[in-house]
Amino acid sequence: MSRINIIVLVAFVGLLVWVFLFGQGTVSRIQRGAQEVFGPVISGANRVEETVSGLGKETLSGVELRAQLEDAERERDRLRLEVLKLDELVDENNALRQALNYVERSPLKLVPARVISRKPSNWYNTLVIDKGHSAAIAPDSPVIVPVGERAGLVGKVSEVIGNDSSVVILLSDEVCQVSARIEGTTEQGILSGERGALSIMPDLKLRYLSKDAVAPPGRLVITSGAGGLFPENLLLGRVKEFKPGAITGEALVEAAVNFDVLKNVFVILPEPSGAAPQTTDAGLSRNATEP
Amino acid sequence: MMYFLLVLVVLLLSFVGQEFVPAIAWAYYARLLLVQTTFYCAAVTVPYPVMLLLAAATGFAWDARYHVPVYPEGSNHAELDFGFTMFLFGLMGSLIQGVRPLFRRGRWELPVFFIGVCTFLSLVIQYLVLSFHRGGLYLSTEMWFQMLMTSLFSMLAAPLILLLLSRLAKWTGYRIRLEGITRKYSYGDSI
Repeated sequence: MSRINIIVLVAFVGLLVWVFLFGQGTVSRIQRGAQEVFGPVISGANRVEETVSGLGKETLSGVELRAQLEDAERERDRLRLEVLKLDELVDENNALRQALNYVERSPLKLVPARVISRKPSNWYNTLVIDKGHSAAIAPDSPVIVPVGERAGLVGKVSEVIGNDSSVVILLSDEVCQVSARIEGTTEQGILSGERGALSIMPDLKLRYLSKDAVAPPGRLVITSGAGGLFPENLLLGRVKEFKPGAITGEALVEAAVNFDVLKNVFVILPEPSGAAPQTTDAGLSRNATEP
Repeated sequence: MMYFLLVLVVLLLSFVGQEFVPAIAWAYYARLLLVQTTFYCAAVTVPYPVMLLLAAATGFAWDARYHVPVYPEGSNHAELDFGFTMFLFGLMGSLIQGVRPLFRRGRWELPVFFIGVCTFLSLVIQYLVLSFHRGGLYLSTEMWFQMLMTSLFSMLAAPLILLLLSRLAKWTGYRIRLEGITRKYSYGDSI
């Protein structure tokens, strides 16, 4: 091996060690810079994808019409959640004031966001949304969409990489683990997706149930609220199959959210007081309060 | 020198191209890793020190754009740490340098196959590191198929990229020199 090869190899290893020692803040700054550099390319790629996927679906001129439609859909979804939230707020407010004298607190803050791309990764199911620091998005913030009359969990913010972009790790990924329960029972477990981005819509696994759990196919699976990261009663999916084991049981769960067609999502902003938020069966409503 | 700069430009363009490459549903959501393939192709055509420099630059840029910061509990370092791609590019580039003499003699079969192998190996290494952090080796048929399809896409794209690089070499008058051999060949020479 020639001297120059050895020198460059040593320099390469030194550089590698230096980079490995980067802290989270440095990495975040670098990624923010890259996001800004690649921003036009990403939005260009997104436009191409939208145009290609929209071919044959429109007879009128596309771009403006689609933008208007998306705005309207986003507004409709936001309003739907707002209505659910307000209805439940009124009900809960009355019930709590009358029966338990609960103290009403401010409602959950939702930030509408648009999905701008998916990171090409073999190992993580992620997507990038167009809201970041400027909208006060924080890591681990839950991301939801309306599913019928309820709020369905999409995943959580993995990283905020700029003023106008954040990475969301989807519920279909193994690393997004959610404390969940089977509706109508006391059965609780941990719900997670699969390792590797092998599919957009994998079956989720609800582990650590009791081996004789009542988990008939079709039963809804919702967040339990344990751990405080995700609000209670967010819709996760439906039981597809239950497999009792020697010690614990495991249920296969069909996700409630179609991760393949996500365009507009909502991020739940962190609570200023640090209190764990809570929703009711019908959707988002209020914060957890104690009398 | 001109050739090396052009290779750098090609690598930069591959990052732009990568944004437009979709995941293929029927191939278990495998996709062409255009940047990796372009780097491996470039690694066959340049000397070892230049390959390492390209590995550092390309790996850094890849992590800057595509690194997903998933931190194991209680750790400040991500599962696949920032800089891991640099390491993989350096490692795979070093392996690929082994088939450089063949490429120099105009034989592309083994280098192209080797590019596929290196793509597969780098994916396997990433998966093993990830499994190590999560504490459980889960190997499914779909996982193998996804990695194989990704490698296959690399092998399909490699000849085109090698052709482009060989054209650039010819255009810039760059000769692929092999240390220890007295006679120097360039593209287009009859052997």
